[in-house]
Amino acid sequence: MKRRTFLKGSLGAALALSSPLLSGCRKATSDGRIHVTYWEKWGGNEAPAMRAVVDQFNASQDRITVDFLSVSQIDRKVTIAIAGGDPPDIAGLWSYNLAALADMDAILPLGEFMAAEGVSREEWLQRYTSGLTPLFRYHGEVFGLPSTPFASALHWNKTMFRQAGLDPEWPPGTVEELDEMARQLTRKDPHTGQLSQLGFLPSEPGYWTWAFGPWFGAPLFNAAGAVNLAHAPGQLAAMRWVRQYTEEFGLDATRRFTSGFSGASTQQSPFLTGKIAMMFQGPWINRSIRLYAPGLDYGVSPWPHVPGTNPAPFVTVDSDAVAICRGSRHPEAAWEFIKFLSSSNPAAETESDLRGMETVCFLQEKPSPLRVWSPYFTNHHPNPYVGKFREFMASPNATTTPVVGIWQEYARELEHATNDVRLLKATPEEALNYAQQRVQRSWVRHQKSMERQAGAAAKV
Amino acid sequence: MLPVYAALIAGAVLFSFPLLWLVLTALKPIEQTMVFPPQFVPKAYYAEVEGRKVEVVLGPKVEEPSSWGEVIAGPQAGSRVLVSPDAKADPNFRWIKDVPAGWRVVTERGEKLSAPGSGAADVVPPEAIESRVKLRWGNFPTALAMMGGRSLEELEGTAPSVNSGEDARAGFPLFLANTVIVCVLGVLGAVFANAIIAYGFARLRWPGRDALFAVTIATMMIPAAVLMVPLYGVFKSLGWIGTLLPLWAPAWFGSAFNIFLLRQFFRTLPEDISEAARIDGCSEWRIFWNIILPLSTPALAVVALFHFLFAWNDFMGPLMYLTNKRSFTLALALQEYQSQHTGVQWQYLMAASAVTILPIIVLFFFAQKTFIRGIATTGGKG
Amino acid sequence: MKPRSLQQAFTGFGFIGLWIIGLGVFTVYPVLASLYYSFCDYSILQKPVWIGWENYHNLVRDDLFWKSLWNTLFFAAFSVPLGLVVSLALALLLNCEVRGRAIFRTLFFLPSIVPIVASSMLWLWIFNGEHGILNYALTPVFQLWGGMPPAWLGDPAWAKPALILMSLWGVGNSMIIYLAGLQGVPKELYESATIDGAGAWSRFWNITLPMISPVIYFNLVMGIIGALQVFTQAFIMAGGPAGNPSRSTLFYSLYLFSTAFYDLRMGYASAMAWILFLIIALLTWLATRAAGRNIHYSN
Repeated sequence: MKRRTFLKGSLGAALALSSPLLSGCRKATSDGRIHVTYWEKWGGNEAPAMRAVVDQFNASQDRITVDFLSVSQIDRKVTIAIAGGDPPDIAGLWSYNLAALADMDAILPLGEFMAAEGVSREEWLQRYTSGLTPLFRYHGEVFGLPSTPFASALHWNKTMFRQAGLDPEWPPGTVEELDEMARQLTRKDPHTGQLSQLGFLPSEPGYWTWAFGPWFGAPLFNAAGAVNLAHAPGQLAAMRWVRQYTEEFGLDATRRFTSGFSGASTQQSPFLTGKIAMMFQGPWINRSIRLYAPGLDYGVSPWPHVPGTNPAPFVTVDSDAVAICRGSRHPEAAWEFIKFLSSSNPAAETESDLRGMETVCFLQEKPSPLRVWSPYFTNHHPNPYVGKFREFMASPNATTTPVVGIWQEYARELEHATNDVRLLKATPEEALNYAQQRVQRSWVRHQKSMERQAGAAAKV
Repeated sequence: MLPVYAALIAGAVLFSFPLLWLVLTALKPIEQTMVFPPQFVPKAYYAEVEGRKVEVVLGPKVEEPSSWGEVIAGPQAGSRVLVSPDAKADPNFRWIKDVPAGWRVVTERGEKLSAPGSGAADVVPPEAIESRVKLRWGNFPTALAMMGGRSLEELEGTAPSVNSGEDARAGFPLFLANTVIVCVLGVLGAVFANAIIAYGFARLRWPGRDALFAVTIATMMIPAAVLMVPLYGVFKSLGWIGTLLPLWAPAWFGSAFNIFLLRQFFRTLPEDISEAARIDGCSEWRIFWNIILPLSTPALAVVALFHFLFAWNDFMGPLMYLTNKRSFTLALALQEYQSQHTGVQWQYLMAASAVTILPIIVLFFFAQKTFIRGIATTGGKG
Repeated sequence: MKPRSLQQAFTGFGFIGLWIIGLGVFTVYPVLASLYYSFCDYSILQKPVWIGWENYHNLVRDDLFWKSLWNTLFFAAFSVPLGLVVSLALALLLNCEVRGRAIFRTLFFLPSIVPIVASSMLWLWIFNGEHGILNYALTPVFQLWGGMPPAWLGDPAWAKPALILMSLWGVGNSMIIYLAGLQGVPKELYESATIDGAGAWSRFWNITLPMISPVIYFNLVMGIIGALQVFTQAFIMAGGPAGNPSRSTLFYSLYLFSTAFYDLRMGYASAMAWILFLIIALLTWLATRAAGRNIHYSN
């Protein structure tokens, strides 16, 4: 490009003397190994689990060293770094970031790397549990691979069930039962009217508000590929269900009750402190329970059945993902690590035998995304319900986030709508109409933009 | 005059309290940041535990004399609890000892009353607790290490480091060095480039000068947002993203505001001195360098100071351009630290903030006059 | 051209050369490119595709655009006038013959040079709903009406007022400018007015205000330009560009920044930038027009 050459010429020359000194340019590595930068979103107690895999990989060969860095707000930082041409080689993201980044042409398709291994994309994906694979297929290509997966399940506190006179081994089987049990498990101070204990609250922990509509039988995109919010009976039913909780327990009372809650996996999580008896949660909560509420007697089950929907057990399946950034200096070395991460030692009999995927999943107390589990992983997993999560991930009614480039925007609008309904700021109809209009407009714009970019690329 | 003093003192209290609160918080242990009502002065508490006088942390208050013991059945089995004395009869409870009303205390070893096996089942009556003012200066090194990406567990030696590679070694000293580089190179550029350019506008006559000056002034109107996207592209094509260059190099090409400021000053210097030098055969450069510049130190100091302040405080620039941790400035590192530890360790966050503020305050006390004069001129002549 | 003027031109351009490069690369080219991108679908990773007025057309139908504009104008409408009043009041107090003036001036001025990142952290702590010192101080006040102090940054209705309150802490800069203006008012004017029997209020209204009107105008324009570009404190205190809670602190610059650098919709963001440019130009023009009738230039 002419403009760029001009800029490079004039400014580059002016700063030729100072720039190598002060630009913080990459030094050649002294150990003779290829250094691959890996940014991972996890901090706290989850990061060391992945660091353990990185250490395994670095020790497993002598050509490549992965440098691990825990980075907050990673999706934004990765985007801006890729846009600026100074990205890490590998990014540890959420699976829902993949389509958006792929649409921006910001991450590398992995099909070619797989082909070089002599494996087709579909063959590669066959290694993973069925519920998970839809998250990684996009326009016939694969843009990232799972790191740790999780299913959401209803967690219930058996002690609180006993205290309320409920059978601790019988979680709610249907939504009606959930609502009824929530009522029975709720305690109010008779004098002040303040809540001291709640049976269930749709907004806690609030990670899966997007799944309420699909749970009530309305997929987020309809058969014609259009946004399916405003005119879908299932969406409306889900919103009414959310609203019903506020109406029943009181807006101010629930607000005051929840104001002291903090992150779902911290010490103050209402499930850990016995303030809420039933909650949708993921497998990681087991670790927090062991650390902060040892002895908490709980069980896990699929989401209660909504009459008139698919009878198979409903759960959501999500995954963390690793991808190779466009602009990576060593994409092939990055792929070596991803390949290592995607592997395991199927014969592992002790904890130190665990490799790759099973190491990180074991340490984070999550199920492995791989179809094949080693004996040690299966039998000594710290999460007593890991087998159930494995079943959930294979459920024919396992729901995932739709793989579209505007998902984050969609989720944002849906969350906004759900909050408005929950806080009685809008009726379910109003909130859904508004979200429908915004998301659909954005969806149309995005598709148009994709076509245009493809058209422009075809011309060149 | 009394109302004036009253208003001044009230204002002074309101304006200085936040900074005072920042420093006080930075010097407290965590539990003293979160008590209600707030504790203003950082303190240490001492009590006699197991016959020794030790420093303790005050836990919750026990209002009535109670019994301390262990739960031996049910899901809570093994945990130690404080119950009313009547519960001694409960078969699920193994009594250990009676305790008076007072403060539950935790010793520095961190043994908590509820931890199984902990011997620190101590409730101390309020009158037996001594308190003394104690400033936790140790919060500062901890905060700075955490700013570099180290976890508290890592610093305590209970967990290994999570990050590896070059970026893992980037810590406070590097962030400080980066900030100083951006400030110093930026200041040098701003002073010299703007002086040279302003001299061209103020004291030389050439075709198109006034038109170009008008354009220069007009560019001050353009909001940064308009330039943001294409500038990112410019820096990208130069390969500068992820380096400090975008933050200081542009200063070497002048800025409209500083050109304006210095031009105004240069025009106040009498023309005769230049004429005399020209007759002596001095080149324009010599006149500029040997005569005009030395006379202009007050104005140059204002430019230097303003640029330093701007560069030290800049956040949006680093947020856009500094994509890797090795290049972080203090402002960005502070924000990164805060976003990684969204939560409760306010004493460390305040300590880290205090460290980024301190150099600016020191600078202010050394250059107070220049500051005040500089601001007054820019406003008055605007 | 005569040799002498040719030489003058050479010398002139020699001195100005850096600026010509700087102006071209860091201002003129970006301005033109930005204008061009605002008519393009552009993600920086791919080539810009010309789409005519579509970005502008989409903008006016984008609720978040209007919401962010409203939030920004709300912020400006309170922080600018309040800032003017508070800084003028402080300057008037300091302009009295008081002891310890330098100390007071320092105390009022210092907060304005505190790095905005650090002051955001500090105010995050002060505004903290549970342990914040502000709510401790305000609890008795609110209890008079039987209420509780708000959660400030956690409450959509109070997040903007919180940021406005915080902005008043940084008025030291304009206070110094007022102070310089006040000190430029000739003492004789006050003396003769006092002789004529004018009270303090009348002296302020008839002498002080007209005499410092150019300074007020300057602070007003600077205040407007600054407030319309509010970014850092909202970015930090709301924990990112979403404008939490409930988009109540989604300011224009925040929306623009996240559109450009997180969604990589650089064309759309450029269109937003140009609209901001027009709004700033319009408001400045209005302020200038309003001032034109009322400004008193001595000299």
